[in-house]
Amino acid sequence: MNTHVTSDFRPDAVVIGGGIAGLQSALDLADQDLQVLLVERQSSIGGHMISLSKVYPTLDCASCITTPKMSAAAHHPNITILTNTEVEGVDTCDEKHSVRLLQKPTYVNFDKCIGCRLCEYACDTEVPDPFEEGLGAVRAIAVPFTNAIPQKAVLNAEACGTCGTCARVCPTGAIEYDQQPRRLTIRTDAIIVASGFNLNSLNIKPQYNAQHSSNIISPLTLERLLAPHGPYGRVLRPSDGKIPGSIAFVQCAGSRDESIGVSYCSRVCCMYAIKQSMLLSGALPLADITIYYMDIRAFGKGYEQFFQNAKAMGINFVRGKVARIDPITDGDLSLHVETTEDADNPLQERRHDLVVLAQGMIPGWQPSTITQVASASDGFVATPMLTAPTATTVPGIFVAGTAAGPKDIVDTIAEAGAAAMQASQYLHQKRAEVLVA
Amino acid sequence: MSSNEKVRTHQELEDDVCPCGEVAPEEEAHLQKEIAQAQDAGRAQHAAGAEPPLRIGVYICRCGGNISDVVDVERVAETVRLIPGVTTAKVHTFVCSDPGQHMISNDILEENLDRVVVASCTPFLHEQTFRGAVARGGMNPYLYEHVNIREQVSWAHKHDPEGATQKAIRMIAGAVGKLRYAQPLEQIKLPNHRRALVIGGGLAGMKAASDLSARGISVLLVETAQQLGGHLNQWGQVYPSERAAKEITAELAKRVQSDPRIEVLLSWKVAEVSGFIGNFKVAVESLYPLGGKQSRIEATVGAIIMATGFRPYVPRNGEFLFRTDPCVVTLPEFMQAMQGATPGATKFTFKGRTVRNVAFLHCVGSRQLDGVHQPDENGRLNTYCSRTCCTTILQQSLALHQRYPSVGIFDFYQDIRTYGRGEENYYTNASKAGVVFFRYNGEEPPRVKPTSPEHTSRGALTVTVKDTLTWGEELEVPVDMVVLGTGMIPGQIPDLIDQMKLATGEDGFLQEVHPKLRPVEVAVNGVLLAGTAQGPMNIQESLSAAGAAAVKAAAMFAKEDVELNPYVAEVDLSLCTGDAQCVTQCAYEGALHIVEMEVNGEVVPRAKVNAGLCVGCGACVAVCPHRAINLNGWRLDQYEAMVEGIAAELPGQACEPELVSIR
Repeated sequence: MNTHVTSDFRPDAVVIGGGIAGLQSALDLADQDLQVLLVERQSSIGGHMISLSKVYPTLDCASCITTPKMSAAAHHPNITILTNTEVEGVDTCDEKHSVRLLQKPTYVNFDKCIGCRLCEYACDTEVPDPFEEGLGAVRAIAVPFTNAIPQKAVLNAEACGTCGTCARVCPTGAIEYDQQPRRLTIRTDAIIVASGFNLNSLNIKPQYNAQHSSNIISPLTLERLLAPHGPYGRVLRPSDGKIPGSIAFVQCAGSRDESIGVSYCSRVCCMYAIKQSMLLSGALPLADITIYYMDIRAFGKGYEQFFQNAKAMGINFVRGKVARIDPITDGDLSLHVETTEDADNPLQERRHDLVVLAQGMIPGWQPSTITQVASASDGFVATPMLTAPTATTVPGIFVAGTAAGPKDIVDTIAEAGAAAMQASQYLHQKRAEVLVA
Repeated sequence: MSSNEKVRTHQELEDDVCPCGEVAPEEEAHLQKEIAQAQDAGRAQHAAGAEPPLRIGVYICRCGGNISDVVDVERVAETVRLIPGVTTAKVHTFVCSDPGQHMISNDILEENLDRVVVASCTPFLHEQTFRGAVARGGMNPYLYEHVNIREQVSWAHKHDPEGATQKAIRMIAGAVGKLRYAQPLEQIKLPNHRRALVIGGGLAGMKAASDLSARGISVLLVETAQQLGGHLNQWGQVYPSERAAKEITAELAKRVQSDPRIEVLLSWKVAEVSGFIGNFKVAVESLYPLGGKQSRIEATVGAIIMATGFRPYVPRNGEFLFRTDPCVVTLPEFMQAMQGATPGATKFTFKGRTVRNVAFLHCVGSRQLDGVHQPDENGRLNTYCSRTCCTTILQQSLALHQRYPSVGIFDFYQDIRTYGRGEENYYTNASKAGVVFFRYNGEEPPRVKPTSPEHTSRGALTVTVKDTLTWGEELEVPVDMVVLGTGMIPGQIPDLIDQMKLATGEDGFLQEVHPKLRPVEVAVNGVLLAGTAQGPMNIQESLSAAGAAAVKAAAMFAKEDVELNPYVAEVDLSLCTGDAQCVTQCAYEGALHIVEMEVNGEVVPRAKVNAGLCVGCGACVAVCPHRAINLNGWRLDQYEAMVEGIAAELPGQACEPELVSIR
């Protein structure tokens, strides 16, 4: 894997973000013999997707789909990957872009590290594991997760007590406690913004009281609970380790709601709730599973059939809006629901012992603050071109995946290919002009 | 021996190609010959040095302790050095490091090694690395075997060092055995005709053609209609841009038609397709006589993009009174009707009827349920969601409201699926504009009937619905017009599906290999999917899908040759009896067939492999009763030698080893 970069490196394109959109774009550019620099702010490429359990509608394991793409990018002779690297700004002048990068110190020399994890085994400082959504623990120096790429240890400077153990056990002398941040500026002709999404806060609707119960969880936490290599190896609820017997999915808990400033649909929540329900009913055959929803948006290829299968499996779909969630005794939760399903009893209180809130998708990064790329009113990157849906407001800068609005993996991968196509033809035409001139 | 000596360059082949882009007749035979030559060359080299004392080098990695903390690597080296044929066995701390790789390439040169084994981590990480190191030493990279003694040995048997050491030795012995019968292989390179056929001149086809041309790739675009643009030509304003659909198609059509690299054939169809990636032979025919001009053209293309689109669902006569009442129309019919309307008009008249109230019915022909809906003539239900109708209905409702503010609008839906960017606003705005929503359950769709004679003043038609928004109350809504929210059904291309061996899903749309891993590719290499041929999509999604298909074709054309891995089947003509069991078993159309050939002066049937279509699955090898077919790189004798190697007595233990006892 090529990770050596100096400021005189002139890649044809820079891809910002190493999630599934960035990986697919980078691969589709590199396969056309273009040199690509892939920049990822986390310690591993793979994005949100690598932490998911299984993905709809095929119920493939997410790793099985993501790791081949991660590995293909890592081994591609035309792709250079910088992890732990943030974009501090893009200066665009005369259709030439200078990408200002900040490489954060990992305190491990990647040329020497062989990913043997001896440092990780020897370290006795533990912190909540961000990969496990904080449910498990990870050592202060560790390879980020099992199938991370690069397979290199990274030291968490905030947690490290600099006891020196890792440096002593490292067989290659890779630990460098004095590593400094490094800044470099990369000039390029084309950029693909694939900076992905974040979820809005679990507490965005105070009436749901997520801050008062650890049993009101994020869907990403449930992904880890469902993953075969997850923190507990099975589904337990966070507050007391109880096997949940009644699980509620509260849809549109951070989307389609003008009161919280997110009026749009987050597009993926219906389908992942259905998927998670199916996986839960496999893991916990006795559990009751209820999805409280406004509209089930199973619009993609094979999605409606997936929804019908879930209904046939006995998942309860209750059309209604959850008004309030109150923590009650034993860590359980009381949901105040207004439903259209029961004429005699439209206002109901229902008890569940685990609640998943469908948080809304919001932009993972705001390029408009440090580049000339404009955002639309929804906060995501604006795409003004009628026949080129991946073009931004800046010539030579393109966008792929959830940076341009919520979308699922299938749609993201198609769009990433389209962005790579758009970028490569931009490069091709630009160079043809240079040759003519 | 470089591949260039055996396979002619792309340029040389181009020189042979007729100016019209067609391949000279002798080219086909020549191509087959070249494939055979490429395969023979490796064997010839092997035969020339037949039965030499092999010189195998084995390199064992400590992996900085990851392996050597468990496996006694020095003992492994001492033991495998005793295996006949092994001349060198060395241990290194990191074989993958530059010094480690240098050691291998150096030994090949200085010790005349002709086979190499590296025992280290998973081949996933470093098989390519070591093939590279071997090639740098001047050896054929396929005379290399990789043994995983980290993930499969030291990590798996941490608590059993002795067992792990024994396992490592046996696995290496197996690899040495397999290498004994290894033959040098070369990547199969086939000429790549840098031209694409795009079938369909709608939105996706035009976008794919224009994208490819912008990358310098010439395109043949074939459309059966008389003009480019597809269904979009008939529609007015479209969401979310609120621009006229014609603006979008006109922009692309202009680009495509003025592009010298794109040859556009309107009112033509693709009649025949054969061949394989890089080398498809296609014949296109004019749908109308051309008055003496050539009405059939043959061409060779490297890739084919299927942009054959969808058909709008047309309700059966009588379905919701369709074709019974003149004011029951489909959504596309309504969109056409709305195009001429002027904003702010007071009276909406349709087919002579004054329209005061309009009902929109969602999911007509989509989300169909067994037992509720009637299957089509093929016995198929459209169980899928057509993805675009919800937003289109709301957008058209708003347009209707703007043009005729006094018209009442009633919307009958199951779920409002305004999922896309900017689409939720249509729903919000429709609610604000006073559209009245009724929600039905899929099991109990609304019914449309003529209003009883005494009540016709309220409207000629009555929609009856069990409305879940009012807790299941049965409501009757009198209206003057009913718009059926019809969705998309698959395009009708049975001949192409049959000829090109394309797969369709249960929904009847063309089926991709995998929605995430290979979303625009089909099982036939070199054939790509663009737009609604694959399933319902909106305009932006179609444009993106077309871009995704174009980028795969562009990547394929970035290489001068189509490079295929050498692991393909090969027939031993001296053993083959031509009884075709392999052909029956072969799942890849055209990869294996029976040909007549002359053997010892006699014309006999024999199996023949088309390396361009063979994927190396090995199904043929398993069924041949005469062991006359083999998979290069994984020949039966290699398998047997590998098993022998693993199972044989180990050198220096018990009796003398007889590692390879077959033959």
